[in-house]
Amino acid sequence: MFEFIVSYYNYWMFIILMMIGFYAMAAKRNLVKKIIGMNIFQSAIILYYISVSVKGGGVSVPILEHAHDGHGAHHAVDIMQYANPLPHVLMLTAIVVMVATLGVALSVVIMIYKRYNTLEEDEIIMSIRKG
Amino acid sequence: MKILSFIAVILVGAALIYGSLDMPKWGDPNSPASSHVSPYYLRHSMADTATPNVVTSVLADYRGYDTLGETTVVFTAGMACLLLLKGRRKN
Repeated sequence: MFEFIVSYYNYWMFIILMMIGFYAMAAKRNLVKKIIGMNIFQSAIILYYISVSVKGGGVSVPILEHAHDGHGAHHAVDIMQYANPLPHVLMLTAIVVMVATLGVALSVVIMIYKRYNTLEEDEIIMSIRKG
Repeated sequence: MKILSFIAVILVGAALIYGSLDMPKWGDPNSPASSHVSPYYLRHSMADTATPNVVTSVLADYRGYDTLGETTVVFTAGMACLLLLKGRRKN
């Protein structure tokens, strides 16, 4: 039972974090709070991918040791010693997309505030309906 | 409305937790994510790219076109921010 919980604990924690972000995106009225929820959602996905790259205990970051000893290129690499590098690379790309969406969303929010003088969603909808 | 979105969040979370039971266990060295191409990258990084940091060699060498497209994403986002914030100042 304890081993079962430890094996899936990381997935459950990231699902809970992701659902907190999803709830903020769906239920909050303030546009900036929605953007914060989107960031929590994306951070949960990034943490999930990083946790997938772990291989048991005792792994280190994927930077090869003894690489510059002179015979580094012919040194056999023990792949169990290093974490999986591929999720780290994919999450670098995801962080770039996250920053790009955050920048565009914040500038759109600035334009909405300049036009309607509020960031509350229902007030914006009311002032659109009034014309 | 808040009740409705809370119910939706609970349903999606329950579906995701049900799906997570089929995932490989935490730290499983033979999981699909770490058994196809990542051993190749770890073994051949020094010989192919002379870079001890495997993340760098995958990002800038093996998947270089991906990084090129990523710079396009950043450029597009920067252009969108500039056009939104500075574009209509004169009208």
